[in-house]
Amino acid sequence: MRNPSDISEDLDAMATMLDLTGAFQGLASMHIAQIKNRVVASQRFFAELWHIYDQIRVDELFHFGRASGENVINKELVIAITAEGGFSGDIDKRLVDELLQNYDKDKQDVIVIGHHGAIQLARAGVGFKRYFKLPASDSNINVQPLAAEVKKYRTTSVYYQTYISLMSQEVKKIELHEAVTTAGKNVASGGGLIDEKTYIFEPDSFAVMAHLERSMMEITLSQTIFDSKLAQYASRFRAMSAAHDKSRDNRDNLKLEFNHARRAKSDERLKEIINGLKAVRL
Amino acid sequence: MVQRQNASTGEFVDKAQATNSKPLGRPSMRLVVQAPFKTYFDDRVFSVSAVNSTGPFDILPEHHNFISILKAGQLDIDGVSSGHQKIIIGGGLMHVKADRITVFLDV
Repeated sequence: MRNPSDISEDLDAMATMLDLTGAFQGLASMHIAQIKNRVVASQRFFAELWHIYDQIRVDELFHFGRASGENVINKELVIAITAEGGFSGDIDKRLVDELLQNYDKDKQDVIVIGHHGAIQLARAGVGFKRYFKLPASDSNINVQPLAAEVKKYRTTSVYYQTYISLMSQEVKKIELHEAVTTAGKNVASGGGLIDEKTYIFEPDSFAVMAHLERSMMEITLSQTIFDSKLAQYASRFRAMSAAHDKSRDNRDNLKLEFNHARRAKSDERLKEIINGLKAVRL
Repeated sequence: MVQRQNASTGEFVDKAQATNSKPLGRPSMRLVVQAPFKTYFDDRVFSVSAVNSTGPFDILPEHHNFISILKAGQLDIDGVSSGHQKIIIGGGLMHVKADRITVFLDV
């Protein structure tokens, strides 16, 4: 049996572990609440912009904010949004695996966001065109460099992580222009037509439309990044929750072991005293 | 003297004349200045001034329907209850319809 003083040291370490995992759990849930509020606010903002765009639009095509006649690369751009570091469970690996299943290096260029995914893609021998750090901030994200790349390509698909619940996160793939138009279709239409007869445009209607498309694409890109961050925080929360429960079980077991060891030691001392007394009487 | 063009009538108006007088019962509009994650202003105003590719302009009540890409600079707001206020912007989009002005920032 172990010495009670050794067990006591382990108990202290376990108490620290419990405090830490509890704190990380708290932090993760705070980030989750903040990001959820931001996503809701951003959806409202998107809806208002779409409402204007929907009334101006003259065709069903989404042009990624490109001016007419602008040259595009005849390839698909694939964006993978992954975590920056570890502690995110197996979700990045699942995302990279899904991307690799459909990967064709002659027809696709890859941009990766997040260091964790970049390492996994490099290990799989996939050369990516650009790498961006996953923004640490949970507030404003500058997606303009990413949007500038998107604009160059014929089509773009995004692999990202979605938050289903605290205990469940999934890998999702979207076609960017479809995601923008699908989000727009959920916005209630109405309000009449916006054209040059009923409105004054500055500088002109085509520039305004291109600006709106670019803006909505950027909002959609930020939303996928926020969604991924939300899923990563949830995944971290789940991992910390499991570690917290495990630490509590370990602490309870150590307490039990400590009490047994202490009793065994005092029993042993009592036995020694009784044996000593017996020897004196004899 | 700074002269600005009234976008609804096309007339040139003196900036000081356009903003200094505040008669009682003066018509006002609703102004919302918002970014994807934050609303910076949501109140009634007498006028809003901003800058687009053609230069500085003012929006007054009963302005014609209007959509403009804004340049980086500042929004000068003459609020009904908040008085004169300035918001520094890095560009944006302004939509004006039926005395409701919405300024979308960070887009």
